[in-house]
Amino acid sequence: MSSHLDLRDVSVSFNGFKALNSLNMSVRKGELRCLIGPNGAGKTTALDIICGKVKPSAGTVSFDGTALQDLEEYEIARAGVGRKFQVPSVFRELSVSENLDVARARRTSVLGNLRWNIGNSGREDVERLAELVGLTEQLDRPAAYLSHGQTQWLEIGMLVAQDAELILMDEPTAGMTAQETRKTAELFARLKGRHTLIVVEHDMGFVKAIGDVISVMHMGQMLAEGTAAEVEAHPEVRRAYLGSGGISHA
Amino acid sequence: MPPNVPSSSGLQRLIAQLAPLLIVCAVVFALPVLLNNDFLLNKVARYLVLGILTISLGLSWGFGGILNLGQAMSFGLGSYAMAMALKLKTVPVHTGASGLPDFMVWNNVAHLPWFWEPFRSLSFAIAAGLIVPALVAAALGWFMFRGRVTGVYVSIITLATMVVINLVIIDQQSYTGGFNGITDLAQLEIFGVAFDAYGRATYYLVAGCVLLSLLVAFAFTKSKAGLIVQAIRDHESRVRYFGYDVALYQIFVFALSAAIAGLAGMLYTVVMEFASPTFLGVQLSLSVVVWCAVGGRQSLVGAFLGAVLVAGMQGALSESAAFLETWTLVMGALFVLVVLFLPKGLAGLAQAALRWIVQRRQAPGRGVAQGVGQTEGST
Repeated sequence: MSSHLDLRDVSVSFNGFKALNSLNMSVRKGELRCLIGPNGAGKTTALDIICGKVKPSAGTVSFDGTALQDLEEYEIARAGVGRKFQVPSVFRELSVSENLDVARARRTSVLGNLRWNIGNSGREDVERLAELVGLTEQLDRPAAYLSHGQTQWLEIGMLVAQDAELILMDEPTAGMTAQETRKTAELFARLKGRHTLIVVEHDMGFVKAIGDVISVMHMGQMLAEGTAAEVEAHPEVRRAYLGSGGISHA
Repeated sequence: MPPNVPSSSGLQRLIAQLAPLLIVCAVVFALPVLLNNDFLLNKVARYLVLGILTISLGLSWGFGGILNLGQAMSFGLGSYAMAMALKLKTVPVHTGASGLPDFMVWNNVAHLPWFWEPFRSLSFAIAAGLIVPALVAAALGWFMFRGRVTGVYVSIITLATMVVINLVIIDQQSYTGGFNGITDLAQLEIFGVAFDAYGRATYYLVAGCVLLSLLVAFAFTKSKAGLIVQAIRDHESRVRYFGYDVALYQIFVFALSAAIAGLAGMLYTVVMEFASPTFLGVQLSLSVVVWCAVGGRQSLVGAFLGAVLVAGMQGALSESAAFLETWTLVMGALFVLVVLFLPKGLAGLAQAALRWIVQRRQAPGRGVAQGVGQTEGST
């Protein structure tokens, strides 16, 4: 089995609280993996570990054979990991096109980026990206003026611009209308295959629409893995969600 | 901006953004034609130099989000580099028998210290005036930004570092001239042109450096690196997840800003005809912050004009009997008012006014102004 990303016995604790307790997960190349679980299960922490925001106290994270756990955030990003945050994180004072331009991190060195961009190379690229996420009209507006849904889209567009091999999405559809959510699902279906995706999501309809394999986390551990039907039938999953009427209402 | 141009091309946009910069520089160059008073011209040159210093702060504060309260440190280092070279050019007028600067003779220094030796060369001094501030800033930045120090702590560290260097200079009287600074300097002479502090040549030298500094800073802010620096200002940690080494970008803008401040410091020595520990003093350093805020820290031209206008006002007020004691209060009040009501300074006000005019022009006969938002963007 050729796994693209491998988490082995990853543990991390915050002030004695074990947010992750010997978590194991492996994701194949080109797969779209959904990560679900009750609040506090450690889903976001798992993404934080992969992208380097949080360092594990034990365990290893390997991506394409590279050990990520000892690298700086920017080194992990250069290795091919992109991350969308739960609270949309864009550059509010920069325009939409500038946001996308920053995300197009083809060159990362300071000196390499001193060159000018009068010839508008890349402008087409940025316009294509804006069209993809429906922000063509907003290209020259500061990101601060976007609605919540548009900000979500902008960050998704920025991840497409970054063109990372592994994309981590933390609740990408939060604050979106049903129609916007459907559009997101379509976009993810297109990204699948070319990119490996890990999506943390609460919206079960969305998860069922996009996910190949669903991983269920509980108390910092992996509880179950499988298709939507398998996971829903899993007795331990039902127990973890007990009182909330099954995972459809998680 | 003509509304019928579909999303103005990059070049047009660039020209529109360069326009205020070039207009201001044209006025600066034209000023000697109108001002037939060498004393006044020297005064204006002084304010222009302070304008360059404020451009440098605008670069690190307005664009990089790094509020350097010790910006005058770089300024002072540049100033001393120039003063050391010009002092050694006074041989044998203001020197002892062995070509030693007079204050060293008074302090019983027998030989020219090793770090003074290379300043016999003017080219070395000019290079040092740019490179030393940049290196000091880069070293300080390396410790701060690698350690992810941000916000008010950066301000405290930069301010403290400047005070330390200031105290060292005052303390090491036999090598630096102490409190008195380095005085009785020779005239700067480059390629046979003598730069008398009250001459036109000096004014044009300063004006040329204003243009140069504005263009260099502008070019940086329009590069991809400049864009990334602004992204870091907005959301530092987010930038890391795109693969950029944030600390390196911060160090770069910090050092570039210091080099421009060093250039301003060298010119200040030429214009003032001395170097003094007050050039890297707290008062000047904090004044620069006020000028920058008043002019508009996210606009290079704004920061420059803010310095020239406010420093000019400061000069006028402190000379008049009525405000001799209270001009610092006036300055403080101005700063508070600007921070409260004009977060983007005068430049922001000008941009808003310009937008309003464009909007009104388009309103009759057309729908509600469409071009709004296109005039966004700072210069």
